[in-house]
Amino acid sequence: MTNSDNALVGLGRNAGAAVLILSSLAGGDKHGYALVKDVEEFAGVHLPPGTLYQVLPRLEGRGLIVALESDERRRPYRLTAQGALVLAEYITAQQRILKTGQARLKRSWSFA
Amino acid sequence: MSRELDDTRRAMRLLRWYPIAWRERYGDEFVDHLGQEFADRPVDHRRSFNVAHKGLIARLGDYGLSNANATLGGQTRAALGTSIAVSALMVVIMLDFWSRAMLAWSQRRYHPIPVSATTGILTVAMGLLVAVLTLVILTVAVLVVRQVLLGRARRLIGPSVLALISGGLLLYVARDFPRLLISYIRFQGMPLSHPGQIMANLAQITWELTQQWVAPWNQGTPSMSIAQHVLNDSVPLAMFVLGVAVALLIRRVELPRACERLIVSIVALLGLFTGMFFVAYIAWSVFGGPSDFEYFFPESRWLGVTYLILLALVPLLVIRSGLLARRVQPRRQRNHIEIVSSMNESA
Repeated sequence: MTNSDNALVGLGRNAGAAVLILSSLAGGDKHGYALVKDVEEFAGVHLPPGTLYQVLPRLEGRGLIVALESDERRRPYRLTAQGALVLAEYITAQQRILKTGQARLKRSWSFA
Repeated sequence: MSRELDDTRRAMRLLRWYPIAWRERYGDEFVDHLGQEFADRPVDHRRSFNVAHKGLIARLGDYGLSNANATLGGQTRAALGTSIAVSALMVVIMLDFWSRAMLAWSQRRYHPIPVSATTGILTVAMGLLVAVLTLVILTVAVLVVRQVLLGRARRLIGPSVLALISGGLLLYVARDFPRLLISYIRFQGMPLSHPGQIMANLAQITWELTQQWVAPWNQGTPSMSIAQHVLNDSVPLAMFVLGVAVALLIRRVELPRACERLIVSIVALLGLFTGMFFVAYIAWSVFGGPSDFEYFFPESRWLGVTYLILLALVPLLVIRSGLLARRVQPRRQRNHIEIVSSMNESA
């Protein structure tokens, strides 16, 4: 089992939302609303506020993201080195699955 | 300006779904986030449902019953606190059920092996559960006293007072236990060659006390005062208050690292013993423990059934909180080790 599996399995049904949040923060620090807008833009998925703020504390608790100090009410979040590592491993694993699936579809079902 | 104010009020109303600890940490930014969402889409029932749903999950997480707790340490402490509170509430009822089972067993002339085995399991589970609960409560008491002596007891005062009041009441109503024990030893002796007889005597004393506590309004001797009746009837409540107070203290007291590491194991033990007790009690009933309903809560069958349902819920709650705490805690430690080692390898 890889680090990403370990870190994301504990998130249960929210693992998908966690990957979206980590991917968004990989592009730079963002507060909650900016994060939702960014995810909407690159994934076409709207993260409801309850789901977003269910996942953020868990990612923070696992040390994958960190909340930055802010004078305003909105608080930006930053991806940590551990979070980047977990995201990288997850993406690598997904790419392997993707390539295998594509190759098998091409070979057995003639999909391009 | 007025719309902004309305949006803030709406957001504050939705925030109430969440527990206090969560609101203190995330409340401001969550209200701000909702304000921006309201500007985008003023009305969205799915959004409101999502917030309410996740807020309730966060509340369960506050009790260690979902993995939505804001901190990992908080998750394990909440799991132990909830396990202690529900086990403490049920331990009086379990003691009563055990004493009835033990007495039913001792009064039989013929002892089939399954009945003897399940009675034995009930006794062991009960004894170990009481031992673990006592150990946890004593450990928490020592840690609280230590923190008081160090002058860092501000957040511990409230639950400590609750624990002292409920604990004092429990000691007062159980004051007859040593007297009854001594009188049994005096008249019947302590035949160490007959441990079954000792257990039966202990069960008799336990039953004499607990049946007044768990069967409200219809027990006790005619000479018993109304005040004593009220005190006896408030024992389950006092046990629950003591459990809640200890749960709050577990969350707030400064725990040494060794204790922190033991939390998940203690919750597992509580789940094991409460589960063992329930399964053994059902097996005992199936294998012919009680000859008829005379032994199954004759005071009120419905109350007996309610207690049985509650007894089934306790191990479920404890085991769930333990599994969630276990799922969260060790992985973090393993991750850290794995990540550090993989970083060293790549370097």
